[in-house]
Amino acid sequence: MTAAIQFVIDVLSLGGAYALMALGLVIVYGILRLVNFAYGELVMAAGYTLYLVGGSPLPWLVMAALAVAAAVLTGIATDYLAFRPVRTKSVTAVLITSFAFSTLLQNAAQLLISPRPRSIPLPEVFSDTVTVLGVVTPARNLITIAAAAVLLALFTLAMRRTILGIAMRAAATHFTMARMLGVPANLVITTAFAISGLLAGTVALLWLGRIGTVVPRVGLEPLLIAFIATVIGGMRSLEGAVLGGFLLAFIDTSLNYTLPQDLLKFRDAFTFSLVILILLWRPAGLVRGPATGQRT
Amino acid sequence: MDARNLLTLLVLVGSILLLALAAELLEVRLFVRIVTNLFIMLVLVLGLQVFMGNAGILSFAHVGFMGVGAYTTAVLTIPVRMKGMALPDLYPLVAGLELSPFMGILAGGLVAALVAAVVAYPLMRLSDAAAVITLFALLVVLHTIMLHWSAVTNGPRTLFGLPRATGLGLAAAAAVLAVPLALLFKESRVGLLLRSSRDDEVAAAALGARVPFLRWQAFVLAAFMAGIGGALWAHFITSFSPKAFYLKESFVILAMLVIGGPGTVTGAVAGTYIVTLAFESLRALEAWLNRAQIFAEQVVGLTEVVLALAMIGVLVLRPGGLVATREVGTWLLRRRSKKGDAP
Amino acid sequence: MALAVDGLEVRYGGVRAVRGVDITVGDGEVVALLGANGAGKSSTLLAIAGAIRPFAGRVRLDGRDVTGTTPERMVRAGVAMVPETRDVFPDLTVEENLRLGAYVRRRDRAGVEADRAAMFALFPRLAERADQTAGTLSGGEQQMLVIARAMMSRPRLLLLDEPSLGLAPTIVEQIFAMIAELAATGLSILLVEQNVSKALAVASRAYVMRLGRIAAAGPARELAAAADLEDHYLGG
Repeated sequence: MTAAIQFVIDVLSLGGAYALMALGLVIVYGILRLVNFAYGELVMAAGYTLYLVGGSPLPWLVMAALAVAAAVLTGIATDYLAFRPVRTKSVTAVLITSFAFSTLLQNAAQLLISPRPRSIPLPEVFSDTVTVLGVVTPARNLITIAAAAVLLALFTLAMRRTILGIAMRAAATHFTMARMLGVPANLVITTAFAISGLLAGTVALLWLGRIGTVVPRVGLEPLLIAFIATVIGGMRSLEGAVLGGFLLAFIDTSLNYTLPQDLLKFRDAFTFSLVILILLWRPAGLVRGPATGQRT
Repeated sequence: MDARNLLTLLVLVGSILLLALAAELLEVRLFVRIVTNLFIMLVLVLGLQVFMGNAGILSFAHVGFMGVGAYTTAVLTIPVRMKGMALPDLYPLVAGLELSPFMGILAGGLVAALVAAVVAYPLMRLSDAAAVITLFALLVVLHTIMLHWSAVTNGPRTLFGLPRATGLGLAAAAAVLAVPLALLFKESRVGLLLRSSRDDEVAAAALGARVPFLRWQAFVLAAFMAGIGGALWAHFITSFSPKAFYLKESFVILAMLVIGGPGTVTGAVAGTYIVTLAFESLRALEAWLNRAQIFAEQVVGLTEVVLALAMIGVLVLRPGGLVATREVGTWLLRRRSKKGDAP
Repeated sequence: MALAVDGLEVRYGGVRAVRGVDITVGDGEVVALLGANGAGKSSTLLAIAGAIRPFAGRVRLDGRDVTGTTPERMVRAGVAMVPETRDVFPDLTVEENLRLGAYVRRRDRAGVEADRAAMFALFPRLAERADQTAGTLSGGEQQMLVIARAMMSRPRLLLLDEPSLGLAPTIVEQIFAMIAELAATGLSILLVEQNVSKALAVASRAYVMRLGRIAAAGPARELAAAADLEDHYLGG
């Protein structure tokens, strides 16, 4: 029984982080139909900000807020530097510019800070353990579950109730028509990148909380997770991204629990194989995106 | 093959032979090394062009298949007495084998193609964006396997002991063969259908094009060429580790194709020449800066920064690359006919 | 609001879809733009609305040059467009679609609320389906929705592209009754239509486009009586 509860907590906390990460990617893809390869670097930006302010006497929450702000700013910068100049040219161009931008950011961190891991400040509560229903688990897991729940709820609310949220959903379906109703294109896009940064920045705090250090390549794993979760969930669906995140967390956790010791290091290969099977069955992902068909 | 393509073939192959001749005659060791490496890169970039130029999908997995080729030939060609040291845990079935490098290189291509054929089939039905990011994930997975399958790859450690079989001649020959392969595929029925399906999927389907199958064919051929390139490289450098088949190398090969122009074979070749020149110059600059101690710390990553900026620059100014649509043969013939027109 | 278009040219790469078109719509006038498929009517409207950049020519609203402005600014200037493709946002509800139509007036909550109520009074079918997603509406209801949505921005010039397209005759009647009612409020309307009789019944003036140019123009009554109207259509 305790193993089952442990499993559920693991899946929920990992799934929450994965879902937030995937959501940040889809929100930009849904509106712009463009994949942001520099998305992982938002996590890196948050991490290095934490490192840089780590020595100061500020309370951790303030440092965390700064880190998230850094992620938001980097997200917006990605739009201006890597997307806007080539957005109208071609889809491949944007993929490559965002990949080049990602390399640029990583190398900048390498050159300006250090290629070696740097430790980041973490609040004490992250390392505390808590007993839930007879299971001992790091408090961090519960914080992750709570943070994910809160953010997902806020996000859903914002998308459904606010005019900007409605405008963004409309832009994701048919950008030009939204503009013809007066919705300012630039505002929608910048907001999408900002939200993307907010989500990635929050995930960064939880993610780095497990590792404790930051390296230039730290964004690669979250990026991959966002990618895979998005692809299995359905690339244009916000619900799909969340579902994909939880499903991926379920697969990863299950493999963690069941794989024999010597195969554990190949876990990612197994995950990928399972993902391929899912894609064989549903190439468009599990959840359909916004309808684009019209009736005359 | 029509006149334009024949001319393109002549010009591109001619450039390769000229370079090879120059390297042979000058006999400067460094230059020979750079040119041999360049020819191997040509094979790789042309392979990438086969897929990206025709299917229009960015493939990050290409370098992963390079690794598959390299490790396949390693396992098959490292002398048996060295295998005991280099790969102590290698399976008995292959531990006793020692094939000629030629066979090893061929096997490298075939194994890479086989892996691609099996793994990539479901991926070819994905939408463009989903395919790109899944291929990216495939690169990571291939890398993970190379990193951990110690019995075959020696894990993250350097694998050594390969015979140094790739010289200037072999590399040049491979490059010379790769050019017509890419051109023929481009102008074949598969290539034409694939490219037309990018513009209008419905019309192409009406012509009988089954797009996932067409993509798959391009992908398998590209993987074959990547495997050959990887195996050639393995026999050139004779020792390597999984690090060599990951993001940095993907980036460089991508830069070569993107800057040159993914849509044309000429672009692939031109891009390889240009980026190699830039890369070697930047590396020399980086080394000089470090020796002269201009900066307090070691300057690392300068090359990639410049390449990244160059890629962004090319994409902003000429999104199709330097040689976007017309092969050099077409371009030359058109110029000749323009000059021939009476005023 | 008065619209004046001079020498408008629209090109798609090498294709010249609109080759020098002059159109005027007076304040409060309903003007029809007729012509066969491919004559360049939709391109003309899209260029006026700012969705496409014109290759050449001027677009003036009440004398003010607005050529090549972004579509967002055109809405703010008082122009609303209903495209031929009838782009409702299928996953948004009718209510959300309407709310989005009033985006430029979002701060005037009372005003938007009043307009919403007015639209529901004008289009009772929409009121019934206020919480349904727009993708589930019938063709006629979607057409009503996009017209109502366009009206939510309180435009002074309405650009309508083929409102009767693909709709049953009874529905077309209703749509055109709506258009007549809107015209009666003093709204300027530029109406692209293939249904010649309906368009000429509601318009005061009309232009006929052929192969990217204006082939004929004049009061609606005159054009309705003109025998060679068919030639303009059959001539393609």
